[in-house]
Amino acid sequence: MITPLLTLIQDAAQSVIQDSTALQSVSTAYDSLWSGADIPTQAPTALEQVMLSDEKIFVVLAVVLIIWFGVAILILRTDKHLERVERSVSENIPLKDDDL
Amino acid sequence: MMVNVKRYTLVRNLVFGWITVVLLAGFLLNFPKINILEQTARNLYFHVPMWFSMMAAAFVSGYHSLKVLQTADPLRDIRALQAARIGTFFGLLGLTTGIVWSRFTWYVGTDVWWNFDPRQIMVTIQLLIYGGYFVLRSAFDEPLKRAKISAVFNLFAMTALPFLLYVIPRQMQSLHPGAEGNPAFSQITHPVMRLVFYPAIIGFIGLFWVLYTQRVRVAWLKYRVTQDSEM
Amino acid sequence: MLLMFVMSSLFLIALAIGQDPISEHMKSALLWVVIMFSAAIGLGRSFVAEEERGTVLLLQLNVRGSQVLAGKLVFNFILLLAVDLVGLGMFTFLLSMQVENLPLMLTVLTLGSVGIAGATTLLSAIIARASNKGPLLPVLLFPMLIPLLLSVVRGASQALEGGLGWSGAEIELTTMAAFAGVVLSASFLLFEYVWTD
Repeated sequence: MITPLLTLIQDAAQSVIQDSTALQSVSTAYDSLWSGADIPTQAPTALEQVMLSDEKIFVVLAVVLIIWFGVAILILRTDKHLERVERSVSENIPLKDDDL
Repeated sequence: MMVNVKRYTLVRNLVFGWITVVLLAGFLLNFPKINILEQTARNLYFHVPMWFSMMAAAFVSGYHSLKVLQTADPLRDIRALQAARIGTFFGLLGLTTGIVWSRFTWYVGTDVWWNFDPRQIMVTIQLLIYGGYFVLRSAFDEPLKRAKISAVFNLFAMTALPFLLYVIPRQMQSLHPGAEGNPAFSQITHPVMRLVFYPAIIGFIGLFWVLYTQRVRVAWLKYRVTQDSEM
Repeated sequence: MLLMFVMSSLFLIALAIGQDPISEHMKSALLWVVIMFSAAIGLGRSFVAEEERGTVLLLQLNVRGSQVLAGKLVFNFILLLAVDLVGLGMFTFLLSMQVENLPLMLTVLTLGSVGIAGATTLLSAIIARASNKGPLLPVLLFPMLIPLLLSVVRGASQALEGGLGWSGAEIELTTMAAFAGVVLSASFLLFEYVWTD
Protein backbone atom coordinates (compact mmCIF):
# COMPACT_ATOMS: atom_id res chain seq x y z
CA MET A 1 0.00 0.00 0.00
CA ILE A 2 2.84 2.39 0.76
CA THR A 3 4.85 2.07 -2.41
CA PRO A 4 2.23 3.38 -4.86
CA LEU A 5 1.48 6.12 -2.37
CA LEU A 6 5.10 7.12 -2.20
CA THR A 7 5.53 7.15 -5.98
CA LEU A 8 2.45 9.33 -6.12
CA ILE A 9 4.04 11.79 -3.75
CA GLN A 10 7.26 11.52 -5.68
CA ASP A 11 5.62 12.45 -8.96
CA ALA A 12 3.59 15.22 -7.44
CA ALA A 13 6.56 16.79 -5.79
CA GLN A 14 8.98 16.56 -8.72
CA SER A 15 8.60 20.27 -9.27
CA VAL A 16 9.36 20.93 -5.64
CA ILE A 17 12.84 19.41 -5.86
CA GLN A 18 13.93 21.45 -8.78
CA ASP A 19 13.67 24.81 -7.09
CA SER A 20 13.94 23.86 -3.44
CA THR A 21 17.01 23.31 -1.34
CA ALA A 22 16.50 19.57 -1.18
CA LEU A 23 20.14 18.65 -1.27
CA GLN A 24 21.02 20.99 1.55
CA SER A 25 18.74 19.34 4.03
CA VAL A 26 20.17 15.94 3.09
CA SER A 27 23.52 17.04 4.43
CA THR A 28 22.04 18.09 7.78
CA ALA A 29 24.35 16.88 10.52
CA TYR A 30 23.22 13.86 12.48
CA ASP A 31 22.45 14.53 16.06
CA SER A 32 24.66 12.29 18.15
CA LEU A 33 21.91 11.99 20.76
CA TRP A 34 20.13 9.31 18.75
CA SER A 35 21.30 5.75 18.57
CA GLY A 36 20.65 5.65 14.83
CA ALA A 37 23.32 8.30 14.28
CA ASP A 38 26.16 5.95 13.36
CA ILE A 39 24.44 4.26 10.43
CA PRO A 40 26.48 4.56 7.20
CA THR A 41 24.96 6.64 4.46
CA GLN A 42 24.96 6.69 0.69
CA ALA A 43 23.89 9.21 -1.92
CA PRO A 44 20.22 10.21 -1.54
CA THR A 45 17.77 8.53 -3.86
CA ALA A 46 15.06 10.42 -5.72
CA LEU A 47 12.50 9.30 -3.17
CA GLU A 48 14.64 10.63 -0.37
CA GLN A 49 15.13 13.95 -2.10
CA VAL A 50 11.39 14.42 -2.12
CA MET A 51 10.84 13.22 1.41
CA LEU A 52 13.64 15.32 2.82
CA SER A 53 12.74 18.59 1.12
CA ASP A 54 11.06 21.40 3.03
CA GLU A 55 12.30 20.21 6.42
CA LYS A 56 10.93 16.69 5.87
CA ILE A 57 7.32 17.83 5.96
CA PHE A 58 6.42 15.21 3.33
CA VAL A 59 7.22 12.48 5.84
CA VAL A 60 4.46 13.87 8.03
CA LEU A 61 2.18 14.06 5.01
CA ALA A 62 2.90 10.41 4.20
CA VAL A 63 2.15 9.35 7.78
CA VAL A 64 -1.12 11.27 7.92
CA LEU A 65 -2.15 9.91 4.51
CA ILE A 66 -1.39 6.32 5.60
CA ILE A 67 -3.62 6.77 8.62
CA TRP A 68 -6.38 8.38 6.58
CA PHE A 69 -6.32 5.67 3.89
CA GLY A 70 -6.27 3.03 6.62
CA VAL A 71 -9.39 4.46 8.24
CA ALA A 72 -11.06 4.78 4.83
CA ILE A 73 -10.31 1.14 3.97
CA LEU A 74 -11.60 -0.01 7.35
CA ILE A 75 -14.84 1.91 6.88
CA LEU A 76 -15.25 0.46 3.38
CA ARG A 77 -14.81 -3.06 4.77
CA THR A 78 -17.33 -2.43 7.56
CA ASP A 79 -19.71 -1.09 4.91
CA LYS A 80 -19.35 -4.25 2.87
CA HIS A 81 -20.31 -6.35 5.88
CA LEU A 82 -23.25 -4.05 6.55
CA GLU A 83 -24.45 -4.45 2.96
CA ARG A 84 -24.31 -8.21 3.28
CA VAL A 85 -26.32 -8.09 6.50
CA GLU A 86 -28.84 -5.75 4.91
CA ARG A 87 -29.26 -8.14 2.01
CA SER A 88 -29.91 -11.12 4.26
CA VAL A 89 -32.30 -9.04 6.35
CA SER A 90 -34.36 -8.11 3.32
CA GLU A 91 -34.34 -11.74 2.21
CA ASN A 92 -35.44 -13.11 5.55
CA ILE A 93 -37.89 -10.50 6.80
CA PRO A 94 -40.84 -9.57 4.61
CA LEU A 95 -41.47 -5.87 4.06
CA LYS A 96 -44.23 -4.18 6.02
CA ASP A 97 -46.14 -3.54 2.79
CA ASP A 98 -46.82 -7.27 2.45
CA ASP A 99 -49.01 -7.20 5.53
CA LEU A 100 -51.24 -4.51 4.19
CA MET B 1 -30.22 -3.09 20.89
CA MET B 2 -27.08 -3.91 22.83
CA VAL B 3 -25.24 -0.72 21.93
CA ASN B 4 -26.27 2.68 23.20
CA VAL B 5 -26.72 4.39 19.83
CA LYS B 6 -27.31 7.84 21.27
CA ARG B 7 -24.05 7.71 23.18
CA TYR B 8 -22.27 6.33 20.13
CA THR B 9 -23.50 9.19 17.94
CA LEU B 10 -22.51 11.78 20.52
CA VAL B 11 -19.03 10.35 21.00
CA ARG B 12 -18.56 9.94 17.25
CA ASN B 13 -19.35 13.60 16.58
CA LEU B 14 -17.12 14.70 19.46
CA VAL B 15 -14.25 12.55 18.14
CA PHE B 16 -14.61 13.96 14.62
CA GLY B 17 -14.42 17.53 15.91
CA TRP B 18 -11.64 16.70 18.37
CA ILE B 19 -9.41 15.06 15.76
CA THR B 20 -9.99 17.97 13.37
CA VAL B 21 -8.74 20.35 16.04
CA VAL B 22 -5.77 18.06 16.78
CA LEU B 23 -4.86 17.94 13.07
CA LEU B 24 -5.06 21.72 12.77
CA ALA B 25 -3.04 22.29 15.92
CA GLY B 26 -0.56 19.61 14.90
CA PHE B 27 0.28 21.40 11.67
CA LEU B 28 -0.17 25.03 12.67
CA LEU B 29 1.47 25.30 16.10
CA ASN B 30 5.21 25.78 15.85
CA PHE B 31 7.94 24.63 18.20
CA PRO B 32 11.73 24.99 18.31
CA LYS B 33 13.51 22.97 15.63
CA ILE B 34 14.92 19.57 16.61
CA ASN B 35 17.91 18.14 14.75
CA ILE B 36 17.30 15.18 12.42
CA LEU B 37 13.60 15.24 13.22
CA GLU B 38 12.84 18.70 11.84
CA GLN B 39 9.19 18.77 10.80
CA THR B 40 8.81 15.04 11.27
CA ALA B 41 8.59 15.75 14.98
CA ARG B 42 4.94 16.42 14.15
CA ASN B 43 4.58 12.68 13.58
CA LEU B 44 4.54 12.44 17.35
CA TYR B 45 0.88 13.48 17.15
CA PHE B 46 -0.04 10.85 14.57
CA HIS B 47 2.27 7.86 14.85
CA VAL B 48 2.46 7.48 18.63
CA PRO B 49 -1.32 7.53 19.30
CA MET B 50 -1.61 4.46 17.03
CA TRP B 51 0.34 2.57 19.66
CA PHE B 52 -1.93 3.84 22.43
CA SER B 53 -5.03 2.92 20.45
CA MET B 54 -3.67 -0.57 19.87
CA MET B 55 -3.01 -1.01 23.58
CA ALA B 56 -6.51 0.24 24.38
CA ALA B 57 -7.90 -2.25 21.87
CA ALA B 58 -5.84 -5.07 23.38
CA PHE B 59 -7.17 -4.26 26.85
CA VAL B 60 -10.77 -4.09 25.64
CA SER B 61 -10.32 -7.38 23.79
CA GLY B 62 -8.76 -9.05 26.82
CA TYR B 63 -11.47 -7.73 29.14
CA HIS B 64 -14.25 -9.08 26.95
CA SER B 65 -12.41 -12.40 26.53
CA LEU B 66 -12.42 -12.70 30.31
CA LYS B 67 -16.14 -11.96 30.32
CA VAL B 68 -16.70 -14.62 27.64
CA LEU B 69 -15.23 -17.20 29.98
CA GLN B 70 -17.47 -16.03 32.82
CA THR B 71 -20.75 -15.57 30.96
CA ALA B 72 -20.46 -17.32 27.56
CA ASP B 73 -22.37 -14.34 26.15
CA PRO B 74 -22.14 -14.13 22.33
CA LEU B 75 -22.07 -10.32 22.46
CA ARG B 76 -18.93 -10.49 24.61
CA ASP B 77 -17.36 -12.76 22.02
CA ILE B 78 -18.26 -10.31 19.26
CA ARG B 79 -16.79 -7.45 21.27
CA ALA B 80 -13.54 -9.34 21.94
CA LEU B 81 -13.21 -10.23 18.26
CA GLN B 82 -13.96 -6.73 16.96
CA ALA B 83 -11.60 -5.11 19.49
CA ALA B 84 -8.89 -7.50 18.27
CA ARG B 85 -9.67 -6.56 14.67
CA ILE B 86 -9.42 -2.83 15.37
CA GLY B 87 -6.30 -3.47 17.45
CA THR B 88 -4.74 -5.22 14.46
CA PHE B 89 -5.77 -2.27 12.33
CA PHE B 90 -4.10 0.29 14.60
CA GLY B 91 -1.08 -1.96 15.00
CA LEU B 92 -0.64 -2.10 11.23
CA LEU B 93 -1.02 1.67 10.97
CA GLY B 94 1.49 2.22 13.77
CA LEU B 95 3.91 -0.18 12.12
CA THR B 96 3.72 1.33 8.63
CA THR B 97 3.82 4.93 9.82
CA GLY B 98 6.77 4.04 12.06
CA ILE B 99 8.62 2.43 9.17
CA VAL B 100 8.06 5.44 6.91
CA TRP B 101 9.09 7.85 9.64
CA SER B 102 12.31 6.07 10.57
CA ARG B 103 13.26 5.43 6.95
CA PHE B 104 13.31 9.13 6.08
CA THR B 105 14.62 10.38 9.38
CA TRP B 106 17.22 8.11 10.90
CA TYR B 107 17.91 5.84 7.96
CA VAL B 108 18.44 8.49 5.31
CA GLY B 109 21.01 7.27 2.82
CA THR B 110 20.54 3.61 3.71
CA ASP B 111 18.23 0.95 2.42
CA VAL B 112 16.95 0.20 5.87
CA TRP B 113 13.17 -0.04 5.88
CA TRP B 114 12.82 -2.61 8.60
CA ASN B 115 14.71 -2.13 11.82
CA PHE B 116 14.72 -4.16 14.98
CA ASP B 117 13.41 -1.46 17.20
CA PRO B 118 11.93 -2.93 20.43
CA ARG B 119 8.57 -1.30 19.92
CA GLN B 120 8.43 -2.38 16.33
CA ILE B 121 9.04 -5.95 17.48
CA MET B 122 6.37 -5.70 20.15
CA VAL B 123 3.80 -4.48 17.63
CA THR B 124 4.78 -7.26 15.25
CA ILE B 125 4.40 -9.89 17.96
CA GLN B 126 1.03 -8.49 18.93
CA LEU B 127 -0.01 -8.64 15.27
CA LEU B 128 1.22 -12.25 15.02
CA ILE B 129 -0.75 -13.15 18.15
CA TYR B 130 -3.90 -11.62 16.72
CA GLY B 131 -3.17 -13.39 13.44
CA GLY B 132 -3.06 -16.64 15.43
CA TYR B 133 -6.27 -15.63 17.21
CA PHE B 134 -8.10 -15.15 13.90
CA VAL B 135 -6.69 -18.38 12.47
CA LEU B 136 -7.71 -20.24 15.63
CA ARG B 137 -11.25 -18.88 15.41
CA SER B 138 -11.57 -20.10 11.85
CA ALA B 139 -10.62 -23.62 12.98
CA PHE B 140 -13.85 -24.10 14.96
CA ASP B 141 -17.31 -25.00 13.73
CA GLU B 142 -19.18 -24.69 16.97
CA PRO B 143 -19.77 -21.05 18.03
CA LEU B 144 -19.73 -21.55 21.80
CA LYS B 145 -16.58 -23.66 21.73
CA ARG B 146 -14.94 -21.14 19.43
CA ALA B 147 -15.85 -18.26 21.73
CA LYS B 148 -14.48 -19.96 24.83
CA ILE B 149 -11.29 -21.46 23.42
CA SER B 150 -10.28 -18.39 21.48
CA ALA B 151 -10.88 -16.29 24.61
CA VAL B 152 -8.50 -18.59 26.48
CA PHE B 153 -5.89 -18.14 23.77
CA ASN B 154 -6.34 -14.37 23.72
CA LEU B 155 -5.76 -14.13 27.47
CA PHE B 156 -2.95 -16.68 27.50
CA ALA B 157 -1.01 -15.00 24.69
CA MET B 158 -1.34 -11.60 26.37
CA THR B 159 0.59 -12.83 29.41
CA ALA B 160 3.75 -13.29 27.33
CA LEU B 161 3.97 -9.74 26.03
CA PRO B 162 5.10 -7.77 29.10
CA PHE B 163 8.37 -9.72 29.20
CA LEU B 164 9.49 -8.06 26.03
CA LEU B 165 9.78 -4.82 27.97
CA TYR B 166 12.55 -6.40 30.04
CA VAL B 167 14.36 -8.52 27.49
CA ILE B 168 14.52 -6.53 24.32
CA PRO B 169 16.01 -3.24 25.55
CA ARG B 170 19.11 -5.19 26.58
CA GLN B 171 19.64 -6.51 23.10
CA MET B 172 18.49 -3.92 20.64
CA GLN B 173 18.84 -0.24 20.08
CA SER B 174 15.79 1.92 20.05
CA LEU B 175 14.93 5.05 18.19
CA HIS B 176 12.27 5.89 20.73
CA PRO B 177 12.86 8.50 23.39
CA GLY B 178 13.55 7.24 26.87
CA ALA B 179 15.48 4.19 25.66
CA GLU B 180 19.13 3.79 26.51
CA GLY B 181 21.28 6.39 24.78
CA ASN B 182 18.31 8.42 23.65
CA PRO B 183 16.99 11.62 25.17
CA ALA B 184 14.05 11.19 27.51
CA PHE B 185 10.60 12.05 26.24
CA SER B 186 10.37 15.22 28.35
CA GLN B 187 13.76 16.37 27.10
CA ILE B 188 12.86 16.56 23.44
CA THR B 189 9.26 17.61 23.66
CA HIS B 190 8.52 21.27 23.88
CA PRO B 191 5.46 22.19 26.04
CA VAL B 192 3.68 23.12 22.81
CA MET B 193 4.18 19.59 21.51
CA ARG B 194 2.80 18.08 24.65
CA LEU B 195 -0.17 20.40 24.39
CA VAL B 196 -1.07 18.68 21.12
CA PHE B 197 0.26 15.21 21.93
CA TYR B 198 -1.98 14.35 24.88
CA PRO B 199 -5.19 15.49 23.16
CA ALA B 200 -4.06 13.51 20.10
CA ILE B 201 -3.84 10.34 22.22
CA ILE B 202 -7.33 10.95 23.59
CA GLY B 203 -8.64 11.68 20.10
CA PHE B 204 -7.25 8.52 18.54
CA ILE B 205 -8.38 6.32 21.43
CA GLY B 206 -11.78 7.92 20.81
CA LEU B 207 -11.45 7.01 17.15
CA PHE B 208 -10.73 3.43 18.20
CA TRP B 209 -13.90 3.43 20.27
CA VAL B 210 -15.99 4.80 17.40
CA LEU B 211 -14.66 2.33 14.81
CA TYR B 212 -14.95 -0.54 17.27
CA THR B 213 -18.49 0.27 18.34
CA GLN B 214 -19.53 0.71 14.72
CA ARG B 215 -18.23 -2.75 13.88
CA VAL B 216 -19.79 -4.26 17.00
CA ARG B 217 -23.15 -2.86 15.90
CA VAL B 218 -22.81 -4.40 12.45
CA ALA B 219 -21.49 -7.70 13.83
CA TRP B 220 -24.29 -7.95 16.39
CA LEU B 221 -26.86 -7.26 13.70
CA LYS B 222 -25.26 -9.95 11.58
CA TYR B 223 -25.31 -12.36 14.50
CA ARG B 224 -29.01 -11.76 15.09
CA VAL B 225 -29.82 -12.34 11.44
CA THR B 226 -27.49 -15.23 10.58
CA GLN B 227 -26.37 -16.62 13.98
CA ASP B 228 -22.81 -16.16 12.79
CA SER B 229 -20.51 -14.14 15.03
CA GLU B 230 -17.54 -14.00 12.66
CA MET B 231 -16.96 -10.77 10.80
CA MET C 1 10.72 -40.17 17.29
CA LEU C 2 11.20 -36.70 18.72
CA LEU C 3 14.83 -37.40 19.50
CA MET C 4 15.35 -38.60 15.94
CA PHE C 5 13.88 -35.29 14.74
CA VAL C 6 16.30 -33.38 16.94
CA MET C 7 19.28 -35.43 15.81
CA SER C 8 18.52 -35.22 12.11
CA SER C 9 17.77 -31.49 12.22
CA LEU C 10 20.96 -30.83 14.15
CA PHE C 11 22.92 -32.87 11.66
CA LEU C 12 21.29 -30.86 8.88
CA ILE C 13 22.33 -27.63 10.56
CA ALA C 14 25.86 -28.85 11.15
CA LEU C 15 26.19 -29.78 7.47
CA ALA C 16 24.66 -26.49 6.35
CA ILE C 17 27.14 -24.54 8.44
CA GLY C 18 30.05 -26.60 7.19
CA GLN C 19 33.58 -25.92 8.34
CA ASP C 20 33.23 -22.20 8.93
CA PRO C 21 33.51 -21.24 12.57
CA ILE C 22 30.42 -19.46 13.85
CA SER C 23 30.03 -17.20 16.84
CA GLU C 24 28.84 -18.44 20.24
CA HIS C 25 25.69 -16.39 19.84
CA MET C 26 24.91 -18.13 16.55
CA LYS C 27 25.41 -21.55 18.11
CA SER C 28 23.05 -20.83 20.97
CA ALA C 29 20.51 -19.30 18.56
CA LEU C 30 20.56 -22.43 16.38
CA LEU C 31 20.32 -24.72 19.39
CA TRP C 32 17.25 -22.91 20.68
CA VAL C 33 15.60 -22.76 17.30
CA VAL C 34 15.92 -26.54 17.07
CA ILE C 35 14.53 -26.99 20.60
CA MET C 36 11.54 -24.75 19.90
CA PHE C 37 10.78 -26.41 16.59
CA SER C 38 10.88 -29.83 18.19
CA ALA C 39 8.55 -28.54 20.92
CA ALA C 40 6.14 -27.33 18.24
CA ILE C 41 6.31 -30.64 16.40
CA GLY C 42 6.60 -33.17 19.20
CA LEU C 43 4.53 -31.72 22.03
CA GLY C 44 1.56 -30.63 19.95
CA ARG C 45 0.25 -34.17 20.01
CA SER C 46 -0.15 -34.49 23.76
CA PHE C 47 -3.89 -33.79 23.84
CA VAL C 48 -4.74 -34.61 20.24
CA ALA C 49 -3.73 -38.22 20.89
CA GLU C 50 -6.17 -38.43 23.83
CA GLU C 51 -8.92 -37.06 21.65
CA GLU C 52 -8.17 -39.55 18.88
CA ARG C 53 -7.94 -42.55 21.18
CA GLY C 54 -11.15 -41.45 22.85
CA THR C 55 -9.65 -41.42 26.31
CA VAL C 56 -10.64 -37.79 26.94
CA LEU C 57 -14.00 -38.67 28.44
CA LEU C 58 -12.38 -41.16 30.76
CA LEU C 59 -9.94 -38.55 31.99
CA GLN C 60 -12.62 -35.87 32.27
CA LEU C 61 -14.72 -38.11 34.48
CA ASN C 62 -12.06 -39.54 36.73
CA VAL C 63 -9.32 -36.99 37.12
CA ARG C 64 -9.39 -33.29 38.00
CA GLY C 65 -8.40 -30.91 35.23
CA SER C 66 -5.44 -29.49 37.08
CA GLN C 67 -4.06 -32.98 37.61
CA VAL C 68 -4.33 -33.79 33.92
CA LEU C 69 -2.54 -30.56 33.09
CA ALA C 70 0.16 -31.20 35.68
CA GLY C 71 0.75 -34.69 34.32
CA LYS C 72 1.02 -33.48 30.74
CA LEU C 73 3.27 -30.62 31.84
CA VAL C 74 5.70 -32.89 33.65
CA PHE C 75 5.79 -35.31 30.75
CA ASN C 76 6.41 -32.54 28.22
CA PHE C 77 9.05 -31.00 30.45
CA ILE C 78 10.97 -34.28 30.75
CA LEU C 79 10.70 -34.80 27.00
CA LEU C 80 12.08 -31.30 26.42
CA LEU C 81 14.93 -31.93 28.85
CA ALA C 82 15.87 -35.00 26.81
CA VAL C 83 15.73 -32.85 23.67
CA ASP C 84 17.95 -30.27 25.38
CA LEU C 85 20.54 -32.82 26.37
CA VAL C 86 20.62 -34.50 22.97
CA GLY C 87 20.89 -31.10 21.33
CA LEU C 88 23.65 -29.97 23.61
CA GLY C 89 25.54 -33.23 23.16
CA MET C 90 25.17 -33.21 19.40
CA PHE C 91 26.28 -29.59 19.13
CA THR C 92 29.30 -30.25 21.31
CA PHE C 93 30.17 -33.24 19.17
CA LEU C 94 29.42 -31.90 15.70
CA LEU C 95 30.38 -28.26 16.00
CA SER C 96 33.07 -28.81 18.63
CA MET C 97 31.15 -26.38 20.78
CA GLN C 98 32.64 -25.76 24.20
CA VAL C 99 30.50 -24.86 27.17
CA GLU C 100 32.54 -22.66 29.48
CA ASN C 101 29.95 -22.48 32.23
CA LEU C 102 28.11 -25.81 32.34
CA PRO C 103 25.95 -25.14 35.46
CA LEU C 104 24.70 -21.91 33.90
CA MET C 105 24.00 -23.71 30.63
CA LEU C 106 22.00 -26.41 32.41
CA THR C 107 20.05 -23.81 34.39
CA VAL C 108 19.23 -21.90 31.22
CA LEU C 109 18.15 -25.09 29.47
CA THR C 110 15.99 -26.17 32.41
CA LEU C 111 14.30 -22.81 32.95
CA GLY C 112 13.79 -22.36 29.23
CA SER C 113 12.24 -25.81 28.97
CA VAL C 114 9.82 -25.09 31.81
CA GLY C 115 8.64 -22.00 29.95
CA ILE C 116 8.33 -23.80 26.62
CA ALA C 117 6.55 -26.75 28.19
CA GLY C 118 4.15 -24.39 29.98
CA ALA C 119 3.25 -22.52 26.82
CA THR C 120 3.06 -25.61 24.61
CA THR C 121 0.93 -27.74 26.91
CA LEU C 122 -1.97 -25.31 27.20
CA LEU C 123 -1.81 -24.46 23.51
CA SER C 124 -1.86 -28.14 22.55
CA ALA C 125 -4.95 -28.55 24.75
CA ILE C 126 -6.45 -25.62 22.83
CA ILE C 127 -5.77 -27.06 19.39
CA ALA C 128 -7.01 -30.49 20.44
CA ARG C 129 -10.45 -28.90 20.70
CA ALA C 130 -10.28 -27.36 17.23
CA SER C 131 -12.09 -29.22 14.49
CA ASN C 132 -9.67 -28.13 11.79
CA LYS C 133 -6.19 -28.59 13.20
CA GLY C 134 -3.61 -28.20 10.46
CA PRO C 135 -0.30 -26.60 11.42
CA LEU C 136 -2.02 -24.57 14.10
CA LEU C 137 0.40 -25.04 16.98
CA PRO C 138 3.44 -23.22 15.55
CA VAL C 139 1.23 -20.31 14.51
CA LEU C 140 -0.03 -19.92 18.06
CA LEU C 141 3.16 -20.90 19.85
CA PHE C 142 5.99 -18.97 18.19
CA PRO C 143 4.73 -15.42 18.79
CA MET C 144 4.32 -16.28 22.47
CA LEU C 145 7.79 -17.75 22.74
CA ILE C 146 9.64 -14.77 21.26
CA PRO C 147 10.26 -13.06 24.63
CA LEU C 148 11.54 -16.35 26.02
CA LEU C 149 13.63 -17.06 22.92
CA LEU C 150 15.42 -13.74 23.22
CA SER C 151 16.41 -14.32 26.83
CA VAL C 152 17.36 -17.99 26.52
CA VAL C 153 19.53 -17.37 23.47
CA ARG C 154 21.35 -14.64 25.33
CA GLY C 155 21.64 -16.72 28.47
CA ALA C 156 22.98 -19.72 26.57
CA SER C 157 25.54 -17.66 24.70
CA GLN C 158 26.70 -16.23 28.04
CA ALA C 159 27.16 -19.80 29.24
CA LEU C 160 29.13 -20.67 26.12
CA GLU C 161 31.40 -17.67 26.47
CA GLY C 162 31.82 -18.08 30.21
CA GLY C 163 33.52 -14.71 30.74
CA LEU C 164 30.99 -12.92 32.88
CA GLY C 165 29.88 -15.95 34.85
CA TRP C 166 26.45 -15.95 36.46
CA SER C 167 26.16 -12.20 36.74
CA GLY C 168 26.26 -11.88 32.96
CA ALA C 169 22.94 -13.65 32.62
CA GLU C 170 21.21 -12.36 35.72
CA ILE C 171 18.41 -10.47 33.97
CA GLU C 172 17.92 -13.32 31.50
CA LEU C 173 17.56 -15.86 34.29
CA THR C 174 15.07 -13.64 36.12
CA THR C 175 13.09 -13.18 32.93
CA MET C 176 13.05 -16.90 32.22
CA ALA C 177 11.91 -17.74 35.74
CA ALA C 178 9.22 -15.04 35.65
CA PHE C 179 8.07 -16.17 32.22
CA ALA C 180 7.83 -19.77 33.39
CA GLY C 181 5.95 -18.71 36.52
CA VAL C 182 3.45 -16.51 34.71
CA VAL C 183 2.84 -18.98 31.90
CA LEU C 184 2.38 -21.87 34.34
CA SER C 185 -0.06 -20.01 36.57
CA ALA C 186 -1.98 -18.75 33.54
CA SER C 187 -2.14 -22.34 32.26
CA PHE C 188 -3.62 -23.62 35.50
CA LEU C 189 -6.13 -20.76 35.67
CA LEU C 190 -7.28 -21.15 32.08
CA PHE C 191 -7.08 -24.91 31.64
CA GLU C 192 -10.50 -25.60 33.21
CA TYR C 193 -12.17 -23.62 30.43
CA VAL C 194 -10.42 -25.62 27.74
CA TRP C 195 -10.86 -28.97 29.42
CA THR C 196 -14.53 -28.89 30.41
CA ASP C 197 -17.29 -28.17 27.94
